[in-house]
Parts: sequence; C-alpha cells; structure tokens
Amino acid sequence: MSNPLVDFSHELANTVEGVGNSVIAVLEGGRSGVSGTVWQPGVAVTIAHTIRGRDEVTVVLSSGEQTNATVAARDQGTDIAILKLPSDAPVAKQANDANARVGEVALAIARRGTEGLSATYGIVSAIGGPWRTFSGARVDRWLRLDLNPFPGFSGGPIVNAAGETLGIATSGPWRSAAVIPASTVSRIVDQLLKHGHAVRGYIGVGLQLVRFPEDAWQSLGISSGRGLLITAIAPGSAAEEAKLTLGDVIVSVDGKPIRSGGGLQWLLDAETVGKSITLGVVRGGQLLNISVLVREKAA
Amino acid sequence: MNPKDRVGIHLSDAVAMIAAQMKQITVQVRGSRGWQGSGTVWPLTGLIITNAHVADAPLDDVEFSDGLRIPGRLVARDPDEDLAALAVSVRPPVGARIRSACGLRAGDVVLASGNPNGDSGAITTGIVHHAVGKSARLFADIRLAPGYSGGPLADATGAIVGINSMIIDGLGCAVTSDTVDRFLRRFHPTEAA
Repeated sequence: MSNPLVDFSHELANTVEGVGNSVIAVLEGGRSGVSGTVWQPGVAVTIAHTIRGRDEVTVVLSSGEQTNATVAARDQGTDIAILKLPSDAPVAKQANDANARVGEVALAIARRGTEGLSATYGIVSAIGGPWRTFSGARVDRWLRLDLNPFPGFSGGPIVNAAGETLGIATSGPWRSAAVIPASTVSRIVDQLLKHGHAVRGYIGVGLQLVRFPEDAWQSLGISSGRGLLITAIAPGSAAEEAKLTLGDVIVSVDGKPIRSGGGLQWLLDAETVGKSITLGVVRGGQLLNISVLVREKAA
Repeated sequence: MNPKDRVGIHLSDAVAMIAAQMKQITVQVRGSRGWQGSGTVWPLTGLIITNAHVADAPLDDVEFSDGLRIPGRLVARDPDEDLAALAVSVRPPVGARIRSACGLRAGDVVLASGNPNGDSGAITTGIVHHAVGKSARLFADIRLAPGYSGGPLADATGAIVGINSMIIDGLGCAVTSDTVDRFLRRFHPTEAA
C-alpha cells in the first residue's frame, strides 16, 4: 500500500523544486541576502526596501549562474522593485489570488545565495479585502498566513499546492509573513515597466475627515454622516479647475458614500486617471454634484 | 462521499501510524541537572543516542515508552556535535530504519518525536527547510520545544534522518543521521550487554 504521507512529501518537495527555478537570490538584499521572483521574461521582482539605494545587485539564478541585475524601477507605495535580468530564467506561474481559500496550503520559497532553496510550510489563515499600505498604495487583498517567516524569504514567492504564486513574501508585523498578492504585483510591474513608476490618480486637494450633526446629514440624505472637508487646493490642479473651494465637504464619490479618511484615495487608482469622477459636495448647506477630471500624480 | 476516501483522512492515518512507530524508539532522558530531554534508540546498536546537552553525567536516567526506567551509562559524548550515546542493560525495542539526510530535499515532510515539557511521546510535523549539502545540521520548518532535544527526526516513511538538537530563528535544527553514524564509528562504543 502506498503511504499518502510519502506522496504528499514528494509533491511538496517537487513543488519547491519546480517553483524554485523561478526564484533568484539577491545577494545584497537585507542583512544576509533576500530572494526575488521571475515575474516576466527577463524581469524579476523583489522587496524594494531590502535593496535601498542600489542601482545594481548581484543575483544567483536557478542555473547557478551569478550575474548582475539592474534595479530598473521601484514603487515605494507597495515596496516592490523590479530587476532586469541579463539572461533568461523561467517565469513563475501566477495564481488567481481571488480564488485563494482559507486553509489551503501555502509554501514560502527562497533561494539562499549559492546554497540552493529554502522553504517553510503553512496555510492561508485568513483572507480580507483591499487595504492600503502606510504610504497609501492600494493592495488588492489581505492574505494572512500561518507560516514561519525566515531570514532571506522576502521577495520570494508564496505558492499554493499547485505551485502557483499567490504573491510575494515580505515581513509583516510581529514576526509574521505578509504577502503582496499576485494581482497587485502584476499591476505594479506593468506600470513600472511602462512608466518607470506606479501610476496613482490625483485631484489636488487636502482633506480632513469630519462628521455632520445628525439632523444635517439626515436632511441632506448623506448615508454615512461623514465627509471630507477640503482644507487645501493645489494651484493649477484638477480640483481648482473644477472650482472646488476651501470649506467644501466631499460626501460621496461616484455615488459611493465616504466612510473613512482614506476614502477618496481608495478610488483614485491608475484606472481612474484621465477619467471624470463625480463628487457629492456639501456647500452652503446644499448638496451639489461636481465632476472632476482625475490626473496622474507626479512621481 | 465516504470520509475514508478523503486525502486528509489518509494523511492523518499515516501520520498517526508513523507517530506510533516513533514513540517506540523515543525515550525520556534525565541528566544530572534533572533537565528532561529525549533520546532515540539507534537501530542495530541498541544504544540510546541523545544530545550532549541532555546527557551530561556518567549515569543518566532513561525511561522507555512502556514505563521501564533504568540507568543509562554514558559511553560516548561530543559537546561540539551535541551528541551522546548511552548504553542500557536491556535490549531496547528494535529500532526503525536509518536514512542518510543527504538525500532530503527542501519541502520533504519530516516528523519529530520527544517529550516537550514532560509530555511523553509528543509528535510534531513539518518540512525540510534546506537541503543538508555538506552540513552536519539539518534545518527543518518544524515547531520544536524544550524537551524534544535528543529525540528522533524522521522522514515520511518513519526512517530516522537526525537527532533534534536546537531551535534557531524559529526553525528546528537536528544533527544529521550521517553525523551520528560518524560519531559512533569514531568512539567505537561497546554495545550494551
């Protein structure tokens, strides 16, 4: 009789070995090297803060070849950097992270210098909606992992049992493993390759979250009771052209009510650039609809 | 669907079976400081292999999984490798197979057995973190605790690949079976009577 534990063991080791062909070592990263994941032909991603201030890094490919790679671009918002590789390496197979399930197998895979692959095993422990990084970038999904992080795993892939990359590993709070999901990595990599920086929408306002008195929000029909008070308008910005003024309170964007201080930024992603959004604005006790053309934020 | 047809059930059955095998060859060891660790009945030799940091006295207490408690005589000890060998006056249970740790790949399933905090015959599962290469140490992504020291680390078939020794960066660190064999050859300890 075959031992299912032996089969499972072989499958895990095969997955590590297979995915490992797309995992590179970045020797200068972090304290004693980090990893990178080949995302497109000739392009690898890694975690930007681990290679801060470097234009070039030394990488070790799965073939054992040690070579220089150019740091082509980095996005401070998501902490993703892209490396241009001088020679070809197999591209990691990407998972549709929207299909990730709580309880499914997750492996963290890293390449440790010239010494080969390292891995830890765990499961997806919780899945949440989109979130914002400290620097305001949108991440499509929160994937919490029950998985042991280890030195050098940053920039390597987190893969499911099928060997598909759920995302890129980075350190989370309290010695946890965090993931930048594959969908976000792909979006940022595309923008970095096309523009050299990540694209974000911008209308040029400074905002402060405010609450309306209950009778006011009920009579105006504002469902959340909250709004964003405009405290600054950049000269020449889209907001100025749309004739927004200091003291206006934004209560909705394209009909969606404002709920939190980050409420407007949430909606100003790359896809909104060049398009008009309709703001619900309270001015002088009246609710107005004002349309604003979203521009690209200067890098 | 018959629940027995499910992969997870087969897997847990297999883990339970190997856990039972490993428990047979895992002993408790108490050294001079009363510090409680584990030991492993080493196949073919009849010796108990444990860590040097567990067995540090000429006579250390050995307790088998069936409750038999006898003194173990220290016949070899190497603090650098963190290994010690104890001879006992009974023929211990027939041990499991030994497997060289060199053939293991990152991702291979491993199991550890021992006595964490006095819980005898405890088991934990994980994977090989990094292929051994030329190292005398095997790193595994496995949740060890004080008391697992000296106990066996086995592969998915139950074959012994190492002796659990330390926790480093949250990873389990074991002395490889190959190192144990070299240690035994170096000391030529006489088999227990």
